[in-house]
Amino acid sequence: MSKSAVDVPPMGGFNFDLCRRNDMLAKKGVNPPSFRKTGTTIVGIVFQDGIILGADTRATEGPIVCDKNCEKIHYMAPNIYCCGAGTAADTEAVTDMVSSQLQLHRYHTGRESRVITALTLLKKHLFNYQGYVSAALVLGGVDCTGPHLHTIYPHGSTDTLPFATMGSGSLAAMAIFESKYREGLNRDEGIKLVCEAICSGVFNDLGSGSNVDVCVITKGHKEYLRNHMLPNPRTYISSRGYTFPKKTEVLITKITPLKDKEVVIEGGDAMEE
Amino acid sequence: MGDSQYSFSLTTFSPSGKLVQIEHALTAVGSGQTSLGIKAANGVVIATEKKLPSILVDETSVRDISSLFFHKSQPFSCLLFRCHFLILFFFLNYLWQVQKIQILTPNIGVVYSGMGPDFRVLVRKSRKQAEQYHRLYKEPIPVTQLVRETAAVMQEFTQSGGVRPFGVSLLVAGYDDKGPQLYQVDPSGSYFSWKASAMGKNVSNAKTFLEKRYTDDMELDDAVHTAILTLKEGFEGQISGKNIEIGIIGADKKFRVLTSAEIDDYLAEVE
Repeated sequence: MSKSAVDVPPMGGFNFDLCRRNDMLAKKGVNPPSFRKTGTTIVGIVFQDGIILGADTRATEGPIVCDKNCEKIHYMAPNIYCCGAGTAADTEAVTDMVSSQLQLHRYHTGRESRVITALTLLKKHLFNYQGYVSAALVLGGVDCTGPHLHTIYPHGSTDTLPFATMGSGSLAAMAIFESKYREGLNRDEGIKLVCEAICSGVFNDLGSGSNVDVCVITKGHKEYLRNHMLPNPRTYISSRGYTFPKKTEVLITKITPLKDKEVVIEGGDAMEE
Repeated sequence: MGDSQYSFSLTTFSPSGKLVQIEHALTAVGSGQTSLGIKAANGVVIATEKKLPSILVDETSVRDISSLFFHKSQPFSCLLFRCHFLILFFFLNYLWQVQKIQILTPNIGVVYSGMGPDFRVLVRKSRKQAEQYHRLYKEPIPVTQLVRETAAVMQEFTQSGGVRPFGVSLLVAGYDDKGPQLYQVDPSGSYFSWKASAMGKNVSNAKTFLEKRYTDDMELDDAVHTAILTLKEGFEGQISGKNIEIGIIGADKKFRVLTSAEIDDYLAEVE
């Protein structure tokens, strides 16, 4: 066993000591645990009066659907809503926290919150955690400077777009947008397009499913259409429900105890001499 | 606070058992502009004088902020105000919030007598505490809890190192599940629930006036009229919608500050 001639002092930065061991373990078939992904399709578009956000309602834990009708469109401010993809706990905690901060900011300034404020607060937080807070968000709202739509990635980068999709069903939804989106859509056309995009994710992606939630935000007004479309109704095999065949009839009942009961009498008279 | 040179408290007992700093803080409150609150059967009203110290003070900076929220129909005046605001903002951005009555949560409002800057600090802390409560319990904070937490903050400053007590007394008005409530919080951190109370200059006259006029089954409008009359009692000069502020909360549980136009209407009714 030869010792190194020069002792390297401990330095900051990433410690590569365990990398060789991990490589060796991986070769032997022991893989490190993988992240839990929750599939989703979330979309947003800018239409002529404001923003329309859409989301599916399936929450998955690996291969199992754990919630068939969850809410993925989160409230941030009266004029700003945020769709969340990624780990459900992360999206909920982060949107809740920023919503709280926006409320305090509104009290302090006496003004309506701006979408760019929400964006900056979210991306600051996510960048701080270097992508470990696994929240991919589509943020949309209408403020005094007009309608805005942004996407935020878990590492903290953002995009500003006229139409956006995120989640495992994002490619399916983006295909619809790329072919059918145009500027100056009216409300009904916009909702129809958003529903189509979400349905495309619902039917073509395993991680998305169940119903479609839509949220329409315009200047001074918002409409949260929960379960706007239900393209996956539960159908039972038998409309009467389930009936089970009759059990065997009981003719006689006889109970035989397995052990004789022993009765102990205490406090009897002492033996006489 | 333990880092500074003053890790000992500046508020110490006198031989007679009094905390002299708190007595002095109460004196500071007593020389502040009059404010009062009245609890009606279906709501609470809080009001205060808003006399500007000199005619040179820019009145537009002291305008109601709530009137600016609903600016859909007045884009031009909004623009004017925004220019004004932009100039003011860079030099005197603390002057922006010279509205004396502040909202803490959608159903709780507060007014003060005493030092304005101390009030601002307390309002910020209270709003944060209310918001933290909401995040944890997903329900609006009850009025008593918010009052208790604000009072705890004020008490902290009478027992910490290197700080002085707050020079304000607060009147907290709220409407929650227990109905309309009015609380007064003093610089010492003690709080009381009142049916009607007054603080600041002229407090004894105002309180006697309120004692005479108060009835348990008052409606909110009557309470507003009584508040105006009480303020008028000790008011020097001409009372108008521009030099008093009134905040009300009714059975709809939404606190709001009246605009000066609305106050003028009430004043006309009173006369």
